[in-house]
Amino acid sequence: MLKTLFPTLGRVRFTVQILMLFLTVYGGALLGSYTVDRISQALPALSCAYDKMTGDHCILIVNQHQLHHRVGEALVKAQDITLKVFIPVAMSVGVFFMFFFLLNKAFCGWVCPLGTVQELLYRIGRRLGRPLNRLQPGNVGRVRPVKWLMLLVLVLALPTMAGMGVVSNELGDPFCQVCPSRIATTLLTADTEQIAVRTSTTVNFALGALGNAMFGFVVIAALAARQPFCRICPLLSWNALFQKLSPMRLVKKDAHEKCEKCGVCEKACPMDIHEIGTEFGKKAFHEDCTMCGRCAEYCPDDDVIQLKFFGFRLFGSSREHYKRRVRAETPEGAPKQRVIDVRVNKPKGENG
Amino acid sequence: MRMNLILMGALLAAATALAAPEGKPGGRPQMDMSGGHDHAAMMQGMGKTAAWTLYPTLKARMSGESRETMKTAIMPQNIVAAGIDAWSNNTKDDKAHRQLSIEMGGAMLDKPANGGFHWLAAREEQGDTVRVASTVYSFNERGARDPSAMFMQQKHELEIIPQPFPREHSRYRANEDWQFLLRFNGQPLPGQKVYLETSNGSMAEFVADVQGVVRVHVPDDFKPEEEMKDAGGHNHGMRRGADLVLATEYAAEGKTFLTAFNSSYGPNAFEKRSLAMGLGFTLLGMLGAAPLLRKRKTEPKSEEAGNA
Repeated sequence: MLKTLFPTLGRVRFTVQILMLFLTVYGGALLGSYTVDRISQALPALSCAYDKMTGDHCILIVNQHQLHHRVGEALVKAQDITLKVFIPVAMSVGVFFMFFFLLNKAFCGWVCPLGTVQELLYRIGRRLGRPLNRLQPGNVGRVRPVKWLMLLVLVLALPTMAGMGVVSNELGDPFCQVCPSRIATTLLTADTEQIAVRTSTTVNFALGALGNAMFGFVVIAALAARQPFCRICPLLSWNALFQKLSPMRLVKKDAHEKCEKCGVCEKACPMDIHEIGTEFGKKAFHEDCTMCGRCAEYCPDDDVIQLKFFGFRLFGSSREHYKRRVRAETPEGAPKQRVIDVRVNKPKGENG
Repeated sequence: MRMNLILMGALLAAATALAAPEGKPGGRPQMDMSGGHDHAAMMQGMGKTAAWTLYPTLKARMSGESRETMKTAIMPQNIVAAGIDAWSNNTKDDKAHRQLSIEMGGAMLDKPANGGFHWLAAREEQGDTVRVASTVYSFNERGARDPSAMFMQQKHELEIIPQPFPREHSRYRANEDWQFLLRFNGQPLPGQKVYLETSNGSMAEFVADVQGVVRVHVPDDFKPEEEMKDAGGHNHGMRRGADLVLATEYAAEGKTFLTAFNSSYGPNAFEKRSLAMGLGFTLLGMLGAAPLLRKRKTEPKSEEAGNA
């Protein structure tokens, strides 16, 4: 029965994603208005506090508010840098880690509502026959640092500086103001407030304009590129800080001779992590990994790539699963029997 | 002191009767009572008069320099009460229901460890008239319990219960609809009338449905030029607000019951926002990504993937 309903890991993940989409976007409406105060208030996924129906909200809004209202204010007063200031921050990070410990970055690949929305858009793009834009090894290195910059500037530095009075108070939660999840999740509840740009001050207007433009870009880009926002998401870098501390792991064999010629896992990876094909052992679990498990699903050899929890195998690659998977969908995510047009973004000077 | 209480109560009752339009329980005062000394507020247990309504209300005032030292005082207005009853959302706690005595600056509401929502009520009984002022106050603290059960506990004969009350970090806003349950002795009151007044000058009347639930439309009555008025609490620098009160009256058991529920509300969601510009910038971003959708003829035509 379960095998019929969930023949592949991909089907399990898709089901979880849809359930989580409902919880993170409509959870308050389904489970009670105050659900948002009771689950974690520090979720390792972009579940948005601006969504009036959300069931929980992400750690980043909490971080920004605490740095703005507690740490920044306390630093400027140069007094009372005490437990009263740091305990709430430690509490948030602690609650976040309790959740993160269990699932690691699977929060990105299985729970995040914006991740799910982008995947759904990508599926639509496949149906519409749009090309697939991929980042090659030469290009991907240029994009990867952006997520750390986003974390450092928008989540950590500006809110703290706003609390200290160094920059405008409106920069208290700058990431939320540009986060596409804020607009996507509120629009999913038929709330148009967040897509309306704030016009009260220049800073508000600039942040709003940037946020809306980013949202528009992501919506269209997701039709022809996989997970465009995830690649620069500060929650991905925030989660990457903790990924080695969780017993949930993506594990690859230390060496496997067929990997050099195969590369299907690289094609299956929605984050263009080429290292999953070229590296082995711990190095294969890259900081950009969202633990979606597609590399393990599309690896045609037994147990080369596995998802493990405390060393126990939750899922491992197998020839049989691979055959079942490719019967329905290509590694790039196109429905089978459909020709997929792959456009390669190569560095300048390289021939196609 | 007892004489003072009775006298004040009689004065308020008389003012309420004079100001009330026909068929409507005590409404907007006919004269401005906000000027000069307010002797009523200077006496313990006395209800301070609110200039914008004659319905009984409870006003929360915050004081203190930092969030750690912040204190919350609850001031009864237009009602004479010996104390204020407070219910916390931690219904299993021994102190879930406690009575706060009214001091010079109002009744001090202590913050419990878990914070969360509190239901506050003041009751006045004069002859055959029972008047109740009620409101909700939230300490906005992590880990607060779901207050739904606490809201539904019967606390007085006639009740106006939010369904739901705005959750943490949100509040009532102009141009929004919110639901309230009207009950008498725990039973819903279908067809019951509710009157709304706001400190911005709006008045409206609503009728409960067959389940005793009334849908209240918060009027969009802020003046665009009005300066920020509500600077208390979690102040983000630009918030402003006004007060609203809902009141209902019911006669039973040879008595007249009047219950009011008050809260603050903010400007409508789209104040200082532009939907047109928002859509414009979104479209701009979409146009920026549009080249990604184009197929290039010069590139590798196609790849039947998945056959490794």
